Amino acid sequence: MESQMSKNTREERMAAAFGLSAAITVVFNVVLAFIKDSYPPLNAFMTSLTGHHWRTHGLADVILFVLLGFLFMAQNKPADGMTNKLVINVTAATIGAGALLSLWFVFF
Amino acid sequence: MSTQDIILFLHPTFGVLGVLAALWVFVETLNATPATQRRIWRASLITTGMFALTWFFAGWFYTLYYHSGDQAIIGKGPVPWTHSFFMETKEHLFFIPLILAFYLPFVTRLELSVNKAARNMVLAITALIVLDGLAIEGAGAIINWGAKTSLAQTVQMTTNPTTIKGAE
Repeated sequence: MESQMSKNTREERMAAAFGLSAAITVVFNVVLAFIKDSYPPLNAFMTSLTGHHWRTHGLADVILFVLLGFLFMAQNKPADGMTNKLVINVTAATIGAGALLSLWFVFF
Repeated sequence: MSTQDIILFLHPTFGVLGVLAALWVFVETLNATPATQRRIWRASLITTGMFALTWFFAGWFYTLYYHSGDQAIIGKGPVPWTHSFFMETKEHLFFIPLILAFYLPFVTRLELSVNKAARNMVLAITALIVLDGLAIEGAGAIINWGAKTSLAQTVQMTTNPTTIKGAE
């Protein structure tokens, strides 16, 4: 029973840490798209890394998601674990990032 | 049918399967019980797998064939915004449901029948995956229409140039 509880706690800490990481990565994805689109040297640099800026962009997102997830887990963040506040943060980040991305390509 | 065509068709196919798997997780989670926990976990892994395959095939087509094919055709046609808005948005928007799909199995490992916040998280991210996925599928259809419209205009100009506005 005790080992089951500690397993759940560790899994919950991991889910919360990677949830926070997902929220940040989603926003990072859109910010990188804005910068890449308005600053050609960055686009060229990203192309030089993998042969296409889109490949680099996707890999950067996934690597950041994994690294931040483990970092937050090591730092025990978010401190309150899996909560509805985290659900709202992930949802708001996703909807906000998607909306900003669409608006960017309408106006720029 | 060329390899290029097969890759083109595979990427939205896996995308739709990923959306359906996410919808499956959503519906199962609404009434999560200890008995359904294992099935939810497996469905979430299928969601992740389908989105990973979509990423692979979409990337293969987009980075190797799209620019010299569809984009070049759309750019010469009457609806270039199908690339400048829909493709530009789609190519970056895709990474959002991809990250959410990678995140999903971390939450479905938790006991959803007793952990309310975890259940809410699964419902929220699967709903977002489905909505984003449908938007991306729709954008793909519009891009396809943009290329088709450009080709139709080219054919029309070849056969009867006076019917095209501004061609005279």
